Amino acid sequence: MIHVRNLVKRYRDLKRGDVLALAGVSFYAMPGQIFGLLGPNGAGKTTALRILSTVLKPSEGSAQVNGYDVQTQPDLVRRSIGFVSTNTAVYDRMTAWEMVEFFGRLYGLKPEPLRQRMETVFTQLKMDEIRDTLGAKMSTGMKQKVSIARAIVHDPPVLIFDEATVGLDVLVARALLDAVRAIRDQGKCVIFSTHVMREAERLCDRIAIMSRGNILSEGSLDELRARHREDDLEELFFALISQEAAA
Amino acid sequence: MNWGNVKLIFIRELRDQLRDRRTIFTVAVLPILLYPLLGMSFFQVLQFMKQHPSRVLVMGVESLPPSPPLIEYEKPGAPRIPLELFDSADEQKLIQLEVRPLPNGPVAFAAAKRIARAEIDAEAFDLVMVFPPDFAEQLAKARQAAVAGVKAAVTFPQPYLCYNTAKEKSDFAERRISKVFERWSESRRNESLIAQDVAPESVRLLQVQRADVAKPEQRKARLWSKILPFVLLIWALTGAFYPAVDLCAGEKERGTLETLLSSPAGRKEIVGGKLLAIMVFSSVTSLLNLTSMGVTGSLIASRLADLGDEGPFALGPPSLAAMAWLLLAVVPISAMFSAAALAVAALARSSKEGQYYLMPLLMICMPLMIIPLLPAAEIDLGGALIPVTGMMLLLRTLMEGRYAEALLYALPVLGVTAGCCWMCVRWAVDQFNNESVLFRESEQFDMRSWLKSVLRDRKDTPTVSLALMCGVLLLIIHFFANLMSEPPTSWQGFVTSTLVSQLAFIATPALLMTIMLTRNPVATLSLRPPRPIALLAVAGLAIAVHPVAMILKQAVLTLYEPNDAMAETLTQMSRLIEQAPLGWLLLAFAVMPALCEELAFRGFILSGLRHSGHKWGAIITTAALFGVIHGMLQQSLIAAALGVILGFVAVQTGSIVACMVFHIMHNSLMLLVTRYLPQRQDEWWANRVARFEPGGEFHYQVWVVAAGGLATILILMYLRQLPWKLTEEEGRQRALESQARQYHAA
Repeated sequence: MIHVRNLVKRYRDLKRGDVLALAGVSFYAMPGQIFGLLGPNGAGKTTALRILSTVLKPSEGSAQVNGYDVQTQPDLVRRSIGFVSTNTAVYDRMTAWEMVEFFGRLYGLKPEPLRQRMETVFTQLKMDEIRDTLGAKMSTGMKQKVSIARAIVHDPPVLIFDEATVGLDVLVARALLDAVRAIRDQGKCVIFSTHVMREAERLCDRIAIMSRGNILSEGSLDELRARHREDDLEELFFALISQEAAA
Repeated sequence: MNWGNVKLIFIRELRDQLRDRRTIFTVAVLPILLYPLLGMSFFQVLQFMKQHPSRVLVMGVESLPPSPPLIEYEKPGAPRIPLELFDSADEQKLIQLEVRPLPNGPVAFAAAKRIARAEIDAEAFDLVMVFPPDFAEQLAKARQAAVAGVKAAVTFPQPYLCYNTAKEKSDFAERRISKVFERWSESRRNESLIAQDVAPESVRLLQVQRADVAKPEQRKARLWSKILPFVLLIWALTGAFYPAVDLCAGEKERGTLETLLSSPAGRKEIVGGKLLAIMVFSSVTSLLNLTSMGVTGSLIASRLADLGDEGPFALGPPSLAAMAWLLLAVVPISAMFSAAALAVAALARSSKEGQYYLMPLLMICMPLMIIPLLPAAEIDLGGALIPVTGMMLLLRTLMEGRYAEALLYALPVLGVTAGCCWMCVRWAVDQFNNESVLFRESEQFDMRSWLKSVLRDRKDTPTVSLALMCGVLLLIIHFFANLMSEPPTSWQGFVTSTLVSQLAFIATPALLMTIMLTRNPVATLSLRPPRPIALLAVAGLAIAVHPVAMILKQAVLTLYEPNDAMAETLTQMSRLIEQAPLGWLLLAFAVMPALCEELAFRGFILSGLRHSGHKWGAIITTAALFGVIHGMLQQSLIAAALGVILGFVAVQTGSIVACMVFHIMHNSLMLLVTRYLPQRQDEWWANRVARFEPGGEFHYQVWVVAAGGLATILILMYLRQLPWKLTEEEGRQRALESQARQYHAA
């Protein structure tokens, strides 16, 4: 479903010259699976996910989403994904209903099927109360719900969540994780990036630990524990990051 | 492009802006309130406005002749200038007069002048007028001499006027007193003529009978055609800018741009939707301002007419036809400014930064809007080709009812406006594709680091920015070189200046930039040898294009006739060219331009611009720069057309050697044919090829042009099917376009 091969991303910095944000990342993510990208700030998670959502172009390597190439078929890639990130905000001057409807129409849904789908999504995400609330008047949790509704309204086969729980209180974060799990259970391929160990442990079927643009280790939680002989994910993470820093 | 998405985005942006109080205030509330408030203030201020009297000191009144009087006394100690010397009693009251005798002594006049200067410096008076001690006697003598017909020059005595033009009041005083003095002199002259039994009217030999045939509607059209287009343009720009900043920089700031970018809407669709929304606000702002200004202006005009004011605004509101033309012009004007504002606003990271960009945009547009307001500014080809200026001049011409003239220049104006819109939209789309613009973070600018990064990060071939920089640099160098050089007077000077200009001002900057700013000069300048067959085809193309180019040249010169100064320059140039030996001529006007201009334009600039990913965009932009550098407008148009062919040849053959061959052959043919064909007009074959006119001019026969045109098309088709090398960006763009086609087909 998602196939990333030797993805490299460089950007130019006036003082430092070329800066490497991704140094050749490769991974697979399958349908019905939550693939976690776990890493500290600046590890390259957001860059990788922005490339998958076609907002950024890779400097080298390739990535395919739902069989489409992110560089040469970005329109088709964007139709196949739902992207929720801390950087994808909601419109202040649109109500929840208007915003989800706008994106549903952009995804090509006809008015009547879209209305039915929106009713379902709003009920699923318990958003009926905020249907007519303007974005500017919503709490952080409400905004995140609208973002998820916007990302799933066209029922995409791939969902990408980039640090989606940042800034949410425990209750809302828990509800969001439940929603992500439900999406996975519908057979969707989910990529979930986080720097919270607990979230990765509870949610992800496979985890890639990233640091400074590289994937240090990748596998299911059990595989990682066995490979690195460490049951505690947090300890395992610190050990990997320390080794990488020392190297 | 999915127009459904464009419509969705347009409606969303429109609704979004309509829910923004700031936008509504700027677009709707401000114009509705502004002009009535301004009108109200105008009448309020009018009540308090009064003309200030001028304080005038007259010294030496005792020297004045008794009749006609220049100074009279209303009552003792209250001197004034007689009412006959003014238009009205109100004007008379505007001179506060004080009189003094001249100081005693042999140098009374010189002493009085010193006093006058001191009084003006001390600002005690606005003007001091000093009459010499023997003014009346000298005047009488001069008159007698003139009457007696003395042949020696007769000198009439002159009073001394001291004032200070740096002070507004003093300047006014001078104008008022000069008018009075002229009338007084006139009445003195009349008096002396009457004394000799001559009627003053009989000596007015040259009297001009004036007949202003302008109808009030025409005068009205002339007045409004200067004001309203300016108002329209200013508000179209302002009305476009604020929504553009909110829809680009504002969205970046609020984090919603990435939401939209990750949706299926393509970049062109996003730009299209936003552009339409901005256009709506730009049009509505300018129309509301015009309407509000028109209504308020009409009321003020009618009020002023009631008050007896005969000023220009008393002519009344603009005609319906003028308003209709304004309404029609709103669309292209708003489109142009909206596209420019969108492209500029896309650069900004935040709304605050976006606001900073308004001033440079205004600074660029303002001179272009001011040119048509200058006295005697009329539409011509030069003006028509200047963005904004051309549109304003065309609008003026239409509003004044000069439709035939407007029709002649409508195409260039609309072409330039459409070209500007296209470039701005292209630029905006590129900005939305440019990660460094979309996601750039604030970085402290440091000149040393920047220079280092330019050298350190240089690529094999120049970037788009470097190519544009090279083009602009060449234009600036060319402009200053032309300003500083003297026009040549001999063929040697002409040839030398052309050679120096090509080598120093075109080839050298391009070569220096290639060496310093790129890593691969061969790739940058496309110095690879072309395939022999392709080279042969290009040589054939140069011959085939020649008759077509001649027709184009004649058409351009007929349609847009050069002005007198330009025609004189061209004649001078032709004379010098006729005197020059053929070898030097070919070197200066065929070989050297081909080598130097191709290195710069099809070499550095085109290879850089191709990194935009748009082959034709790069070719046309290069051709436009190539045209502009030719200076003379008529020549620029022809050069730009040939530049398109040269750019195409460069891309298809992958070599500027082919372009150089085409350029040398084309310029040589022009020189040789123009010089030698008229000399052979008596030979049998010459008349089969061309029609000759007296004076050495000739036109190719239709069959020659048709054959040339056909051969040109065939050779271009051959070149088109040659395998050409895409840049990385062109390859990506092609893949994106084929993806879009596949998607829409599916």
